[in-house]
Amino acid sequence: MRVGQIVFLLAAVGFATYATRLRSTRTDRLIHLLLAAAGFVLVLYPDWSTEVAHRMGIGRGVDLIIYLFIVFSLFHYASGAAKSRQLERAVTVIVRRLAIAEAKHDSGLAAAAGGERLSPSEAGISAIRVSLDAPPASAAGR
Amino acid sequence: MVPAFNEGPALAAVLADLVRLPYRVVVVDDGSADDTAAQAGRFDVCLLRHIWNLGQGAALATGISYALGLPATRYVVTFDADGQHSAADISQMITALETGGLDVVLGTRFGRDGSARGIPFVRRLTLRLGTAFTRLTTGLCLTDTHNGMRAFTAAAAGQMMITQNRMAHASEILSRIAELGLRYRELPVTISYDGYSAAKGQRSIDAVTILWDIATSRMR
Repeated sequence: MRVGQIVFLLAAVGFATYATRLRSTRTDRLIHLLLAAAGFVLVLYPDWSTEVAHRMGIGRGVDLIIYLFIVFSLFHYASGAAKSRQLERAVTVIVRRLAIAEAKHDSGLAAAAGGERLSPSEAGISAIRVSLDAPPASAAGR
Repeated sequence: MVPAFNEGPALAAVLADLVRLPYRVVVVDDGSADDTAAQAGRFDVCLLRHIWNLGQGAALATGISYALGLPATRYVVTFDADGQHSAADISQMITALETGGLDVVLGTRFGRDGSARGIPFVRRLTLRLGTAFTRLTTGLCLTDTHNGMRAFTAAAAGQMMITQNRMAHASEILSRIAELGLRYRELPVTISYDGYSAAKGQRSIDAVTILWDIATSRMR
């Protein structure tokens, strides 16, 4: 066994461990475990990728793996972007509710305004106390 | 309603003008890192604070949500915090809403002699492209699509539902006006392009960001 193989086998094991710990849904874990397993096998038997590539009409095994990598990366990017939009929306709702709940000046009116719009399940959010003196860390622009 | 992000240097002068008027002033501090909130605190205004910078669209949505919760709110007028607007224009916008049977009055920096004076050429060109784009996408014939001064009846403000956190909210407001068939008109307002607001305000290149936000707004 060559040194390179040992390095990448360890990487595949590391990836599998990471994926099973970090990924929450069962399908997600399964997909990542399969990916790790495929990596493991291909490191041990590099010629197999060439074999599969030839059957698919692709020149080299390396090319096949690069194409697959690109496709996976694109999916990963898309799901990350969707997730980040979801987060942004959630943050907006929380920041807005805090702003209204903690309105300064006419606090009585503000409480009426905020309270009216909170459903019981969401009302807990207004109880979260966040220090207004904490410096805002983002600069999303105006 | 005054959305403000790091407007400490200009806000005091703006609020000093606004508190003289017989309206309730709501300042939305959009997570400023400077003394914007402290400046607002010196005046008799309602102060809402975003603990995180979300963008002007989000600040407007917060302010509208708050204002509509107040029982006395009949109209909502948005007013930029950088001192480019004139407080004297507010009453004529409200008068236009009341007497014209309108839902929305949009400020325009074009259309009255002299009001467009001092607008840099590149900005003028960008704004013109913006109006052409708006005409194509919404069918609204406007001379100025990104003017911070707008007046809504409470009912119209409640229908806006701004979801664009950043600057694309301006296009979003216009889309809502078109979709809902709201009665609108433009009213010339005074804009002063002094050094401060020109430096602090949007750059013309931001038009690209706005287009991107609109294009990706349907991605979930």
